[in-house]
Amino acid sequence: MSSRVLPQFDLLTPQSIPEAVAMLSQHQGQVSVLAGGTDMLLWNYIRKVKPTYLLRLSGLDELDYLNYIPGEGLIIGAKVKIVQLLEHPDVAEKFPALYQAASTFATPQIRNMATVMGNVLRGSPAGDCSCAILALGGQVVLQGPQGERLVGIDDFWVAYGVTERKNDELAVELRIPEPTSTTRSAFIRMTRVHEDLAKINVAVCLEMKQNTCQRARIAMGCVGPILVRLKQTEKLLEGQQITGELLEQLAASAQEEIAPIDDQRSTEEYRRQVAGVILRRVIEKAVGTH
Amino acid sequence: MSEKTYVGKNVPKLDAREKACGQAVYAADLQLPGMLYGKIVRCWDHAHARVLKLDLSDAAKVPGVVKVLAPKDVTQKNYNTGVLDLMVPEEMGQLLGDIEDQRIFTDHVRHQGDAICGIIAESEEIAEIAAGKVKVLYEPLPVYLSAEESARPDAFQFDERKPGNRAFQLPEQMFPGNAYGWGDVDVEMAKADLVVEETFYLPKVKQCQMEPHAYVAHYDQTGRLNCWTSTQMPKCVQPKLARLFELPISRVNLISTTIGGGFGGRLGMVFEPETCAMALAVPGRPVKVQSTREEDWIASESRHPGKYWIKLGVKKDGTPVAVDAHFTSNAGAYFSHSSGVPFTTGGWLTGMYKYGAIRYKGDTYYTNQAPSGAFRGYGNPQTNFALEQIVDRACTELNIDPVEWRKKWHKGVGDDGWCIGVPYSSCALDECLERGAEAIGWKEKRARYANQSGSKRRGVGVGVMTHTSGAMPMLLEHTTCTVKMNEDASVVITLSCSDLGQGSHTVLKQIAADTLGMPMDEIHILVNMDAAGFDIGSHASRTTYVGGGAVIKACEDVKRQLIERAAIRLGVPEEDLEIKDRQVFAKHDRDKRLSVMEICHTGVYNFTNPENGETNGVPGQITGYASHFPGHNSPPFGACFAEVEVDIETGEVKVIELVIAHDIGRAINPMAVEGQLQGGAHQALGMTLTEETCYTEAGLCRNNSFTDYKMLGPTDMPKMTTILVEQPDPIAPFGMKSVGEAGPVNPVGATANAISHALGIMFTEAPITPERILQALSEQKVA
Repeated sequence: MSSRVLPQFDLLTPQSIPEAVAMLSQHQGQVSVLAGGTDMLLWNYIRKVKPTYLLRLSGLDELDYLNYIPGEGLIIGAKVKIVQLLEHPDVAEKFPALYQAASTFATPQIRNMATVMGNVLRGSPAGDCSCAILALGGQVVLQGPQGERLVGIDDFWVAYGVTERKNDELAVELRIPEPTSTTRSAFIRMTRVHEDLAKINVAVCLEMKQNTCQRARIAMGCVGPILVRLKQTEKLLEGQQITGELLEQLAASAQEEIAPIDDQRSTEEYRRQVAGVILRRVIEKAVGTH
Repeated sequence: MSEKTYVGKNVPKLDAREKACGQAVYAADLQLPGMLYGKIVRCWDHAHARVLKLDLSDAAKVPGVVKVLAPKDVTQKNYNTGVLDLMVPEEMGQLLGDIEDQRIFTDHVRHQGDAICGIIAESEEIAEIAAGKVKVLYEPLPVYLSAEESARPDAFQFDERKPGNRAFQLPEQMFPGNAYGWGDVDVEMAKADLVVEETFYLPKVKQCQMEPHAYVAHYDQTGRLNCWTSTQMPKCVQPKLARLFELPISRVNLISTTIGGGFGGRLGMVFEPETCAMALAVPGRPVKVQSTREEDWIASESRHPGKYWIKLGVKKDGTPVAVDAHFTSNAGAYFSHSSGVPFTTGGWLTGMYKYGAIRYKGDTYYTNQAPSGAFRGYGNPQTNFALEQIVDRACTELNIDPVEWRKKWHKGVGDDGWCIGVPYSSCALDECLERGAEAIGWKEKRARYANQSGSKRRGVGVGVMTHTSGAMPMLLEHTTCTVKMNEDASVVITLSCSDLGQGSHTVLKQIAADTLGMPMDEIHILVNMDAAGFDIGSHASRTTYVGGGAVIKACEDVKRQLIERAAIRLGVPEEDLEIKDRQVFAKHDRDKRLSVMEICHTGVYNFTNPENGETNGVPGQITGYASHFPGHNSPPFGACFAEVEVDIETGEVKVIELVIAHDIGRAINPMAVEGQLQGGAHQALGMTLTEETCYTEAGLCRNNSFTDYKMLGPTDMPKMTTILVEQPDPIAPFGMKSVGEAGPVNPVGATANAISHALGIMFTEAPITPERILQALSEQKVA
């Protein structure tokens, strides 16, 4: 049934991280965390989840930080909104894949509200910033009753909408490692119209030595229940000179490695057809030959 | 063209400021004392089912629920949301086979979202909680999503009056062979050197007006049923509600609220019947019913989808010897516009070109999709997709320039219009084609894009159209207007024409100001159904043309009275007087004059001198009136040119530019005309490239919101150049012709043809998605 009325829930507004963690522990499994709310408040989500409690981060200003630390990398607090990525000069320069994902993300209104962490926690295979972060590598910092723990982004998503975060943990920070001077990254997505969820997206992060790719991370979205790394394709790429011939091989490999489905945004067949094309294009974009 | 102060000028829309400031009051904003909230309980899980058991007992027990309404608790009369019954004589309606087949609440669910019962409560939240407690036992019935499926002999029969589930075909008594046109198509087709034939598929596209349907109804203490609604047709909905609830028309009052877009989505009744039924159940208390976007989507009408078969025969020189066409449309669950749309769809076909012979068939079948109805263009975008593409295919095969072909073979002045027997009064299509071709660089680009390589392929295409300005003589055309002169010579125009947001009230005011010679800011428009006379409603691109005609006549009536009174006061014959700059002058003696204000003032404040019995002027407040039936429909024409770039590796289409040249006759407000063309182009591109309401096999809607039904956004829109070709129509008031429905028509054909030009592949299914393009490319290797 469609509705104009929000379902019943209790609103929790912790004033500190320990208080938030305590609330999560107390009401394990009954709490949804609200940050930007752009996904949560959509009828199709909140009416499916029907949380007993909604825990909002409005009292936790200590989670609103976005810092680039030379030698370490990018540190993204849980309240950082997509638009902040676009306003930070180091993001565009050092993390082009993330910047490009943020700049095409949804609409200006949503970019002003949605958080980067929310995109990661949603666990959708279509997440654009998530796709870029998977390619760039990094860690999610979780704060629980027993203290802090770090989960690598490669292991963070376990199933559609399901993450490694435990019910009593608060995701507080994202860390993306420092690129070297020869790191190249880029992001591309395809949509039905500009302001849309991706029908397929791809991000790469390549360590280049002249025209040779030494190490590669390739992330692709909407080709399975969670965002995936194309590890076989990465292996084909590593140690190789980027040539037209290689790009054709990579494209073929990507098509093999994915498991897309038909849905409202596109078809399995189409996603397979274009996966290789956008992989080729994103590599070209990253290394600057596009 | 005589010089006008307002007509022809870019006057800002009257409602722009309050809408931009969020202060326009829509039905959903209304709060009345003692107001209750109604919830229409809909079937969400089935597209076709019988209600075996409806248990409202738990819902009724929810605290704050005032009343629950089962099907038996409301009128048992059937209705048809459409208004054709008011627009044609009863015999014609019978001949067309129009029927009333909708119930307020039904025990036979015919589409997802069909209304099964109602809840009235003290708050919207309570109504919704109670709705969740309604228990329904359904018996699922077979689901049919296309005409082919429901036409099968063993299919479930939707209505015993419509055997074979065929809701409509062109009636044999009017059109022998269930077809209209002219000439012997079979004989002429045999003379063709080239026959091109194709079946096109048209998608189910939604109006997507910004304001979801919302209403308030109040059965008041005087026994009058009041309904606040943003309908396009208040004067038609009023008698329809009266008939449905068996009340005299005088006991039904419609109050027009701000309309947040219409596009045909508010043509006739939408959810007024359910809302009024609830109000009648709680006399004395107003009831508000608001629909969500999802409800609006699954339960209100859309454009007719369907299959459009067309066969064109041409001579080697391009002469179109014959056309044979058949539009099989999908009515959805109820009759509604089942006759009107397929009937009219062929008119846009027969009206376009000088075929040697033509035969058009149109029919409609019931299915379990949401009902189809009126949508801006009323069959014309469907025809455009099929006709303009099949013409281009013939041109390609014969190596004829598509622009030159259209210039040679389009109909023009004196030819039969879209309604056979009513000739075109004017036609500026040649100028539209020439200026449009020039603006897009047609010849150069057609040649340049003929041979391309690489992953991005460009193409340019053309599409032409004709439409109408009001639906005369097919449908009733009637608008009344009253113009009241106040004592300070300010003006109140009372009429019942709706402004859907297109600016019709602005334009009507411009027309009044220039006709009366008064400043616009001293003219006010009053839309009040008790005060205003009849108007058939805002549809068929008629409000400026017919409403404007009524305004002109009523203003002329005022001027006649002003001159009549001035003649008495000045002692000058009426024929020697004229009105200019708010003065009545003697033509040959400018010193003999009287201000309009003085005439109006003394008419109201009319004092008698007790000494001599003389008055200070002619007594009586001046009121002008017109009951206007237009004598013609002055069809507009238009040519659209599109340039696209197709990525052959991904199938993505980027529309680079649209040039839209429109034969407007005379633009009353050029900026508003451009707005209509650009907004229409947005809808046309959506239908051509991205928009379609989709269903699961079970008939449940897969995309009932903007998350998955994609309209183009601002950044998707191409550069648009509009060219207003002004060759005044000799019959029309001020020479004006319509634009409202023209917008979403020919950008459809132009864009499809541009894609075809880029790839050498014609796409027969809309929307032309990247998925369809890539599939076609993989089947037909592009060089």
